[in-house]
Amino acid sequence: MSPGQRLYIIIVGCGRLGSYLANRLSRDGHSVVVIDIDESAFDALSAEYSGFRVEGDATEFAVLEQAKTDEADLVIATTREDNINLMVAQIAKKLFHVPRVMARVFEPKREEIYRDFGIEAVCPTSISGDIFLRWIEGSSAMDGKGS
Amino acid sequence: MKGKPVLIVDDERNIRLTLSQSLEPLGLEIDTAVNGEEALDKLKERDFGLILLDLKMPGMDGMEVLRQVSEIRPEIRIIIITAHGTIDSAVEAMKLGAVDFIQKPFAPKEIRELVSQVIDREKMDEQKATDYGSCIELAKKCVGDRHFDAAIEHVRKAVSLDPSRPEAFNFLGALLEIRGDHPEALKHYRAAISLDPTYEPARKNLRRATSLEPNGAIILDEVKKQQRREEG
Repeated sequence: MSPGQRLYIIIVGCGRLGSYLANRLSRDGHSVVVIDIDESAFDALSAEYSGFRVEGDATEFAVLEQAKTDEADLVIATTREDNINLMVAQIAKKLFHVPRVMARVFEPKREEIYRDFGIEAVCPTSISGDIFLRWIEGSSAMDGKGS
Repeated sequence: MKGKPVLIVDDERNIRLTLSQSLEPLGLEIDTAVNGEEALDKLKERDFGLILLDLKMPGMDGMEVLRQVSEIRPEIRIIIITAHGTIDSAVEAMKLGAVDFIQKPFAPKEIRELVSQVIDREKMDEQKATDYGSCIELAKKCVGDRHFDAAIEHVRKAVSLDPSRPEAFNFLGALLEIRGDHPEALKHYRAAISLDPTYEPARKNLRRATSLEPNGAIILDEVKKQQRREEG
């Protein structure tokens, strides 16, 4: 994925994260398709968004087929449900042979499973946890210095 | 046709944008129109080689544009942009010489491949059509020229080259349907299905042709896709 290359990106879930990514990636000139089961979720897309909207359940093969997942350079699973994200990511990877698949996972224990499947996983729980811990450690270190 | 500008006709801004951006690397000159009226005006000014045309537009719809283009500028090639699902009045579109369809949403690579395919097809002649895929391509070129009998001949040749594949039978069914030979058309759709029971285009065509609305969609787009997979 060289910079400047226009990618075909499918984003599953048009919530806060999904719509944020969709707006940014579309503005950067990529061809973006957002899939969400709820049509009203597309309201979160900005006026700059020039991609496509597919209303449907992304765990259904036909919906991913409709979004032309076989053509995708990248699939990002961003729904609120870990199980849905894992399922969508696996289908994209194994059945549609998408070169890069990314997913959000809330349960830190599941990160490992995703990686075993070759899926790039981000766990907001462990990321924010680590940051909090660093802050706490940083402030206690400073407290130590101060006394 | 190579070097001639391409006209994109769609009322949706994002579609015009996606198509223009996707076609940029091909080095073709691109112009856009937001509706049928503007498209016809632009046709008077410039010599376009290819039009990417949306069928559903407010005001003058794509079918009317297609009808007029096929009268005033029959040499211009047309790719029809469709939403997911069936292509309404595709029988009529094919009668008017439009045989290429692209379904939303589109991947940039997919658009480039189809446009290149349509442009390259112009250089084809009978000598070059020696394998299955090129016979089908030549048949599509003939449909573009409204030479339906010649198209039928080329598809029949494809059938003889590889009678085990469903695509040509399905295409032949569609062409026979256009010629008004309904029983023969059904026979060919059935032949395609018996070769490959999972071949969706023929199943859809048979379902439509045997239903009460025989003027629905003739499904051909998946033929191209299969060919592309083989080539790639």
